[in-house]
Amino acid sequence: MNEAGLCRGETLTTDHLVKVYRGAARPALNELTLSIGEGQIFGLLGPNGAGKTTAISVMNTFLRPTSGGVTVCGIDVVKYPRRAKKLIGYVPQDIALYPDLSVRENLRFFGRIYGLRGKGLERRIDECAEFVGLEGNLDQRIFTFSGGMKRRANLAAGLIHEPKVLFLDEPTVGIDPQSRNLILERLAALKDKTTMVYTTHYMREAELLCSYVVIMDAGEIIAEGAPEDLLRRDPSCTNLEELFIALTGKQLRD
Amino acid sequence: MLKLWSCVRKELLLLCRDRVGLLVIFLMPVVLVIVVTLVQENVLRSMGETKTQVLFLDRDSGAVGRQMEDIIRKSDAVTLVKEIAGKQIDVEMAKLAVAKGDFQCAVVIPEGTTKAFMKKAREAVENSLPASPAKGRVRKERLREPAPRFLIYFDPALSETLRLGLASLFEKVIMGIEMKEKMRVFSEVFPVYLEAAAKNAMGPLWSEENRKMVPDARIEWDNAPIMVVEEKAAQYGAPVLRPNTVQQNVPAWTLFGMFFIVVPLSGSLIRERQTGMLTRLFVMPLSYLTMISGKIISYVIICVVQFALIMAVGRFALPIFGAPVLNVGSAPAALILITVSAGLAASGYGILLGTVARTYEQASMFGAVSVVICAALGGIMVPVYVMPKIMQSVSVFSPLSWGLRAFQEVFVRGGTVRSVLPDTALMLLFFVTTTLIAWFYMSQRGRTRIQ
Repeated sequence: MNEAGLCRGETLTTDHLVKVYRGAARPALNELTLSIGEGQIFGLLGPNGAGKTTAISVMNTFLRPTSGGVTVCGIDVVKYPRRAKKLIGYVPQDIALYPDLSVRENLRFFGRIYGLRGKGLERRIDECAEFVGLEGNLDQRIFTFSGGMKRRANLAAGLIHEPKVLFLDEPTVGIDPQSRNLILERLAALKDKTTMVYTTHYMREAELLCSYVVIMDAGEIIAEGAPEDLLRRDPSCTNLEELFIALTGKQLRD
Repeated sequence: MLKLWSCVRKELLLLCRDRVGLLVIFLMPVVLVIVVTLVQENVLRSMGETKTQVLFLDRDSGAVGRQMEDIIRKSDAVTLVKEIAGKQIDVEMAKLAVAKGDFQCAVVIPEGTTKAFMKKAREAVENSLPASPAKGRVRKERLREPAPRFLIYFDPALSETLRLGLASLFEKVIMGIEMKEKMRVFSEVFPVYLEAAAKNAMGPLWSEENRKMVPDARIEWDNAPIMVVEEKAAQYGAPVLRPNTVQQNVPAWTLFGMFFIVVPLSGSLIRERQTGMLTRLFVMPLSYLTMISGKIISYVIICVVQFALIMAVGRFALPIFGAPVLNVGSAPAALILITVSAGLAASGYGILLGTVARTYEQASMFGAVSVVICAALGGIMVPVYVMPKIMQSVSVFSPLSWGLRAFQEVFVRGGTVRSVLPDTALMLLFFVTTTLIAWFYMSQRGRTRIQ
């Protein structure tokens, strides 16, 4: 069965998702319920420890929820992780690539894990490299890359199998404005084919890119809506960053 | 299958790109095999395990020296050297060469030895016969000649065992020559003695006619030995080879090199964990079993290549340096079984270490030290049989000792697949146990992960 065929309407849902880590005093996720439609760029915002990475880790099949459910294109992620994994792409915060391999070798390895092979795989490698502006560096090893190039290669690895849902965990951390601009442009262009769940600490990025944002704190949703709607609701804030500080406070989070 | 093959290819590619890893995996065991074998070859020479080089300086040029040379040359234990760098040796040169350790000992036969030796032999025979009436009280009146001496200069660093062995060899050679000479003299003297005794007994009745009545007492000694010592190695199956430094060191350091894969293998697991790669892989449709199997298969392939490389060194490179040629036995299937089992055992240990250790530094330090300890216990550096009893009983727990025992079984005792099965089974059990512990540890740590 073609799993992609299942994706109609709501691409990703979470139902009263709770995640309590062993020994933790409070839940990292508390009754998180989301519904993300096809082609949405869904911003998951919050200070450190708000539960963003935990939410992504549960949604992308890495962590088992304590209770509640997650579906990707209608597939229960906890019950059928293997089926769900084929539809999911993940761009971690770390540069999760083999530094001693070239971009082509990294993408080839990841592509094969998703069952791609032959000419189809080579075509996807070329497309992904072109998409992130690394077509001229395909045979260059990752360790020789600048920070921005590594981030772009990291993104390409998450796209190799044309996922239905792409999880991006702070994909623009520590890179130059040019690379950030390119990544944001390309992600915006991708939304027709792929639903994205995006976490970032750069509020301006979220404001520009996301069609819908959820602001979390202490594992719970404290505000949600389209960025312009959220700002309309609180006229004292002129941008998302001001709103974010207003909602989560100025106290430092470590 | 495609996923597993992809993991294997990726691991091999990463290993090929890791220069330090390649040095640890391939160059280190090769260098160790060559260096340790050649060093031990020299040590064993001083312990008498290999042919001992003896300087032979015959200043007498008589029958004694010739006979001694003939007999010593026939010995398997000693090589006689009569010249140094094409030059005739004198006593001072010989002493200097031995003192420097270039030779284990020097034998010097002083001028006049043969003459004095023969004289002494005659004296000994004549003194052994009862006093002849014809000759009067010859035995008591004859002055004892001082015994001729031949000198042996030993290397002061020579082991006591070898020194005693060499001294005993020379004494045995002299005893043989002495006995032969005494018999020759006896054969010559005894008929004369007998005739004199008869003449004395008959007194005036003695005539030349009576001489014919005296029995012919000339003796033709049969030189064939009356008892032969036959040395045989206790064995079963194919003929046993005499173990030497090559037969000991090549398999020993091959195993050491194989087990050193724990450092790059555990390192690769830790790096994947630290860089977030493991998280990315867990989110992909790839099972932990496939991921780990890819690593195990890759490193077993590396172990097989290591084995082939070091065997080639043993067969072709070491003889260039004067070491004996490695004999690999006649059971290639058994060798493959041992190599794969040892590779699996080492991989299992590497997986366990990479799973339990928190940092690369922890894994590399603990991995390297634990392999060295297991190697020492397993008889890699010093054969198990020379260890104290308590260490011998501990050594049975070292996977390297199982591997080495299995290799020696094939290399030295002519073992087959069947005879190496117990040791390979132990290595496979070690692999299964370490991998299961790693699996258990991983599943406990990732208990909240969706698998």
